[in-house]
Amino acid sequence: MPVVQFTPFSSTVSPAFWHALIKVKLEVQKLSADALPIVASYSAGRSIKDRETGADIPLNSNLSVLEDAFHPKEQTQAPPGSTIALGQFKNFNTIEEFKEADKQALFNSLAEEIWTSITTPGDDPSEALSRFLLITFADLKKYKFYYWFAFPAFIAKPSWEIRENGWALASTSLQAVGMESISESLGSLKSSKSSKSQPSFFLARPVAGSQTYDVAPIHTYLTFFKEIPYSQRIIGFLDPSSHPQSPGWPLRNLLSYIAHLEQSEPANSLAHPDTLSLNVLCWRDSELPRGGQDWKSLLGVVSHVSSAPMHRPSAVGWERNSVGKLAPRLSDLAPMMDPSRLAEQAV
Amino acid sequence: MSLHAIQAQYWAVRDYLSPVLRESKFKEHGRITPEEFVAAGDFLAYKFPTWAWETGDAAKARDFLPPDKQYLITRRVACLRRATSLAYTDADEDAEKMLSFAEEGSAGDKEDEWVQTHSGRKASEAASPGIIEDIPDLDGLAEGPSGIDQGIGNLRLGDIPSTASEAPPNLDDIPDMEEEGLEEADDAGQAPVKIEPVQVAKGNLLQVRTYDVMITYDKYYQTPRIWLIGFDEAGNPLTQSQVFQDVSADHAFKTVTIEPFPHSTRLSAVSVHPCKHASVMKKVIERMNAGVVEQRQHASNSSSPSGKGGEAGKKKWLGVVRKVTGGEKPQSPNNADDDSDGMRVDFYLVVFLKFIASIVPTIELDSTTAF
Repeated sequence: MPVVQFTPFSSTVSPAFWHALIKVKLEVQKLSADALPIVASYSAGRSIKDRETGADIPLNSNLSVLEDAFHPKEQTQAPPGSTIALGQFKNFNTIEEFKEADKQALFNSLAEEIWTSITTPGDDPSEALSRFLLITFADLKKYKFYYWFAFPAFIAKPSWEIRENGWALASTSLQAVGMESISESLGSLKSSKSSKSQPSFFLARPVAGSQTYDVAPIHTYLTFFKEIPYSQRIIGFLDPSSHPQSPGWPLRNLLSYIAHLEQSEPANSLAHPDTLSLNVLCWRDSELPRGGQDWKSLLGVVSHVSSAPMHRPSAVGWERNSVGKLAPRLSDLAPMMDPSRLAEQAV
Repeated sequence: MSLHAIQAQYWAVRDYLSPVLRESKFKEHGRITPEEFVAAGDFLAYKFPTWAWETGDAAKARDFLPPDKQYLITRRVACLRRATSLAYTDADEDAEKMLSFAEEGSAGDKEDEWVQTHSGRKASEAASPGIIEDIPDLDGLAEGPSGIDQGIGNLRLGDIPSTASEAPPNLDDIPDMEEEGLEEADDAGQAPVKIEPVQVAKGNLLQVRTYDVMITYDKYYQTPRIWLIGFDEAGNPLTQSQVFQDVSADHAFKTVTIEPFPHSTRLSAVSVHPCKHASVMKKVIERMNAGVVEQRQHASNSSSPSGKGGEAGKKKWLGVVRKVTGGEKPQSPNNADDDSDGMRVDFYLVVFLKFIASIVPTIELDSTTAF
């Protein structure tokens, strides 16, 4: 069976975020290089109809940090159809410090945090699973911002594999009724207070005697699926990927969590299978289909031979730059911020 | 003090001194009051949930708007091609197509149509000198759009262009700190790099940019005003000249300029200058009103198949408006009054976006085509 391939996360930094950073740097943080909590958001991947060729152009959702990134998470509202991801932000005072920072240590400590949340019984890890790291150096005089994101994701060994028939449109097996019921229930399972936001991760099970589905937060896995056979368990997540055969990055940690739950609770419900098989729903329908469009979410059966690594698996997830190298990115805002540059353009 | 700074000061003073429009003028002048802006914005955000109200910088809040409804924003609007890459020829000029605001199929009703020029145009990537340099040199791909399309479909791991690993133009300043050791090599089982080629090809060849689009209320011109912040396919903000590639040639450098965004302390954004908005909106509204009214009469006088189409169009049009505004404005007791009035002000921003879409033709702003 083919190995599941995950679309890597990528980032978009709004210019407004750099403004917020300048403010935080000058007024709050000053010369301190302490890590700060930061809030970002992502939504479902979309496809855009190309009016010239009629083709559907897939458009992945990026993790975007906006102006309100430094607000406490309680005050942050995800944009409509989006979900919140919590991150760790670290700004360096000089380019040398930025270059020489022990990035692997920062990365590992965040991965450790995620792993702790996954392995702590009873903990709700939904916020931890999509945690990210952002390191920056802000050249305030030149309005240049060097930055590097990391989205730690655990490597499963052996790898998760997808059934031969691959990922298929979820609406073919769940029917429109099922999709609608999930969409509706997701509304009540908000990840934040914002009424239009979406939960990042969820579970779904069929309601007996109807075609509809119940959804629940992921930390209720053991109770919610107690009497449910594996073939009917659905693990869902808001999928930032729009690729037809490759789910988004957040699924990796979700699968790690579920696999860990399965191993650490061998006594649960049914006889524990050697090969863990799960239905995964890549939720890409934060907007209901309108005007004859199809549902876009994907469903696939992934499986993985249970092993017993109780220690933390290694993690990957540094963002590659625009040419695919592991290197920081640069945002040059001089054209948008530098007063002298603005004056030149305005003549 | 530079000319621009003086100009900005002048605008600020002029804006401060101009009174807030209180009286509804939208049918006479195409201008709207802040209340109408809020009502139209509520409708837009309700009907198209990608639009949402923002509060902006509290220090910059305008007191004539509710604190939590300072401006509207929609994020990540796709822009598949550059407007400058749309090649215009005489043949295209002849390819004008009448666009109808009524439901598809309401044939024969010419009044509510308007002209879409160049409807048959095809994007010609090669026709624009401005973008060629951005297209990576993909070895092994046939030239031309059709070849590219096939190329995308056939891309595999081995096709990763070697040239693409050379430094892109704007990364000269990035310190050389590639760290290959950072990532464990044994992620091969779930190698994301295998997916890369498709993304590279899609991003660079089609150059899918995304835009954050804001609508503010301009107190001086008493119209909505549009602001654009663009990102390239890698998520980097676009420069002004890059944004101008997405503005139709008739408008770039004339009505589209870069100015300080009014709800932020430092941010500048590309904006369509609103000095002509009111008159254009007035014309569009008049035309649509005439169309709606005539359609209604047409529908009530005729039971022919084309009449049915018109009726369906009308119902959709007015029914939708009424449903949303019901709670906010005194409902006219007689529905016939509503109908003969034509367009309600709630619809203003939807129409406004259609107008803006003609200035930035390749930014897929007009998600409202369902109307």
